[in-house]
Amino acid sequence: MVKLRINDREIEVPEGTSVLDAVFHAGYDIPYFCSERHLSPIGACRMCLVKVGTPRKGPDGEWIKDEDGRPKIFWFPKLMAACTTRVSEGMVVDTLADEVKKAQAGMVEFTLENHPLDCPTCDKGGACELQDRAYEYGLFEKYYTETQNGLKKVLYSRFEFTKRHADKHHKLSEFIVLDRERCIHCKRCVRYFEEIPGEEVLDFIERGVHTLIGSEEWPLPAGFSGNITDICPVGALLDLTARFRARNWEFEKTPTFDLTDAAMSAIWVDSRSGKVERIRAREHPEVNEIWISDAARFGHGWTKEGRLSRPLLRKDGALVEVSFEEAAAFLSERLSGVRPEAVGLYLAADGAMEEGYTFAEAAKGLGTAHFGFENATRFPVSALPAASFADLLASEFALVVGDPAEEMPVLYLRLQEFLKGITPAPRYFHGTPIADLRLEERMPRRPERLATFAAYPTRLFAFAGVRGVYAPGSVAALFEALLAAMNGKRLPEVPGVSEEAIREAARRFLEAEARTIVVGAEVLDDPEAAQALSEIARAKGAHVIAMPPAANARGLELTGLFPEKGAGFGEPGAEVVFYYGATPPAEALRGARLKVFALPALDALAKAEADLVLPAKTYYEKRGLVLNAEGRLLELRPAPTAPASAMDGIEALAFVLEAFGKRVPARSVLEARTRLHERLKVPLELPEEGTLFRPRVRLGARRGGEGGGSLYLRPTMWRARMLKDERVRRALGEPRLYVHPETARAEGLSEGMRVEVATPYGQTPAVVALDERIAPGFFQLPAFGRGTGRRVAHRILVPSGGAA
Amino acid sequence: MGFFDDKQDWLEIVFRNYPPENRRAAVMPLLRKVQQEEGYVSEEHIREIAELVGTTPTQVRGVMSFYSYYQAVPTGKYHLQVCATLSCKLAGAEELWDTLRAELGIGPGEVTPDGLFSIQKVECLGACHVGPVVQVNDEPYVECVTKERLKALLEGLRAGKRLEEIELPGSCGHHVREEEA
Repeated sequence: MVKLRINDREIEVPEGTSVLDAVFHAGYDIPYFCSERHLSPIGACRMCLVKVGTPRKGPDGEWIKDEDGRPKIFWFPKLMAACTTRVSEGMVVDTLADEVKKAQAGMVEFTLENHPLDCPTCDKGGACELQDRAYEYGLFEKYYTETQNGLKKVLYSRFEFTKRHADKHHKLSEFIVLDRERCIHCKRCVRYFEEIPGEEVLDFIERGVHTLIGSEEWPLPAGFSGNITDICPVGALLDLTARFRARNWEFEKTPTFDLTDAAMSAIWVDSRSGKVERIRAREHPEVNEIWISDAARFGHGWTKEGRLSRPLLRKDGALVEVSFEEAAAFLSERLSGVRPEAVGLYLAADGAMEEGYTFAEAAKGLGTAHFGFENATRFPVSALPAASFADLLASEFALVVGDPAEEMPVLYLRLQEFLKGITPAPRYFHGTPIADLRLEERMPRRPERLATFAAYPTRLFAFAGVRGVYAPGSVAALFEALLAAMNGKRLPEVPGVSEEAIREAARRFLEAEARTIVVGAEVLDDPEAAQALSEIARAKGAHVIAMPPAANARGLELTGLFPEKGAGFGEPGAEVVFYYGATPPAEALRGARLKVFALPALDALAKAEADLVLPAKTYYEKRGLVLNAEGRLLELRPAPTAPASAMDGIEALAFVLEAFGKRVPARSVLEARTRLHERLKVPLELPEEGTLFRPRVRLGARRGGEGGGSLYLRPTMWRARMLKDERVRRALGEPRLYVHPETARAEGLSEGMRVEVATPYGQTPAVVALDERIAPGFFQLPAFGRGTGRRVAHRILVPSGGAA
Repeated sequence: MGFFDDKQDWLEIVFRNYPPENRRAAVMPLLRKVQQEEGYVSEEHIREIAELVGTTPTQVRGVMSFYSYYQAVPTGKYHLQVCATLSCKLAGAEELWDTLRAELGIGPGEVTPDGLFSIQKVECLGACHVGPVVQVNDEPYVECVTKERLKALLEGLRAGKRLEEIELPGSCGHHVREEEA
């Protein structure tokens, strides 16, 4: 620890702290633009200039004393940038001196010199760091002078100067627009791309006053690009999905969690007039830091499309709006005489634990074996002990099987930290360090810390020392081979992966003292692979971070909604089905006589098959508990965007059960949570940041359901429902059907050919893309959250005429 | 065909100067090579260099656009760079620029029809005591450029003379002082 004085306050901070953080830790404020949490401090904006002095030691090794016998303070000859200055013992920092104030005001003027005065039409207005800093530290009163009669007269104004003019609407992608006039050259976005996702796609172009932000890429690679709109201190980089939707103070801001993937990033849902307009990242130091994926940020358009506010009943083949009474009457009639054990109750992957509990209890009450949740894997993820992202950062070696960038995007960013050897920063009075001097630009990533295997070359491949592409369906062989290599036994063959790669991965794994294994949906869906993985983790000692394809898989499994026999979410078997929040593949409805859905909006399957559709809430609108991939219990808070009559899972289920004349296990979130509290010791009150909750679960793997087709569904961060938004479709382009050139030749396919692919989830157009790095004999198509990591049956339809 | 395809030996020598894990450091010599031989760095050159040094085209563009030496559009055989910063401006750089434009009939970014000349205003060349200064390609500065000296310069270049062979009328500041001393 280092002792220093900030103005009048003596503080103690860890060694290596920047003066900037020390100042904030002491409770004082200084303005800054270029520093940002988790980015390297570079001292570019010169806003944080402060007066710094240190004591000095004489030749005798003693402090040089002043007249009063105290260590004499030698002030630095010039003001120092607080963000790039390290604290030292006995340092004295003055942030209130006149010269500091003058420097700060001067820097604000410099920054404003070329900044346009279009705040009234700027989306950042009201939430702009430059606005705030200009107000707090600018030169306002200097513009005016007292005149004799007490009236103030303008001396000069910022309007007098011709400002630099540049491109005001420069689109960087379908999601982000850059206003080059507003840019103040803080370099946050440039550093973000290099330091956080590790792709150098933005840079300063030109020099001096001509400097602007530019890219040679169009569009910016989608994945993690949206975070630059959060960290931009001005309105230069803006979220196009929310452009001109509202002023910042008009938004209703709801702090909740994202349920697109199992990491469950903390988010702000900004809504206005009952519509979700914008999603922003919210800080959660342990989970997502201050970053979220593009899918989580830009994929919210579906919440606005065709929302249902009343039940839809099929009459003469068409779905028509009816009253709830009529819907209930219809249900009672159709349900009378139905065997309770023939009913199937299914919940979406983003259902809350309270909903899961209610569904599981209702199924138990009915005595049916048909229940489950969307995207449940065959091996229950809760059977693997949970590990935190912090455990990963504390490891020396990581073995990744799957594609974190798509399956759990935030984990991919944590893996980048892991590759650079960054450990969690100390916490200060103000939270995360703003200028963490351990971080630098272009920190080398250490490939020797990572081995990764996947069914196709993932983003992570560029950073891995050992990598291999296996043929889809051979993860069990891969883990068995890894285990054999660790035990010095003969290796079973793994299609596509060389023996050296496996031996090398095993060697590095054993050499490291602390290890983490990251596995994706494909492994969880293969009980043999998951067993071999558990064996390695237990016998050799490793943390396991599993990336289940269902966001709340851990939470829902815990409530008992994991069926061991009976028809699961996507399997046929039940005679009467009730789906809440998501629709299954059409195949699952085979043999069902009554099909009831509760959905936020109709989709193709519901339109074609449903007998009754009830209006449902999205996860942005629900209250409830969720358990993320780390086993961290988090609480969802509802944004005020649901239509008044939209029901959460508990309400919708109660509606159905009442019509059936059966007992309703819980009628409200609170009641269900109380039951969960009694049964599982789930806390009733949660702190804002959630709490680790990792009870032991005894669940067996499910048999059956192994696809075995030759179409492999690649994980994607985007979900099928997000594709309702035209902007998302434009940004993603047409889905690609990846094929090995050999297979393509055999099948008569060529690069760029347009085809239609019929999958269990429906028919989709795709463009053939040849890739010789993937295994021959397979086709690979983006899953969009349905059947992630599975092999399914398919047919490729080649249009007879036209471009093909 | 890429610009560097037939220059593999040269590339090897250049890359030897930098640590293999930091090959991106070689972006400058590669840019310089292209600029010297092609007169400008095109979009394709940028992509090729990015590929060679293992970085993104954006990064190469960032480096390239920082230096006024690198040109993004084709230049003439003689690229005349007129210093337009304060000292030269006071010594008549603006008038010189106007003369040059009138004389050649081109503006910045253009090349004379004979392919000989292109012009550009640049920031301080660091020869304030002998302003106004003009730099031709990579050659030593042409100093104290009056209208007469400019005409002589252009004529000499048109005649195909090398820069040091061209006689410029009159004398220039520090030469005079040197002679006195």
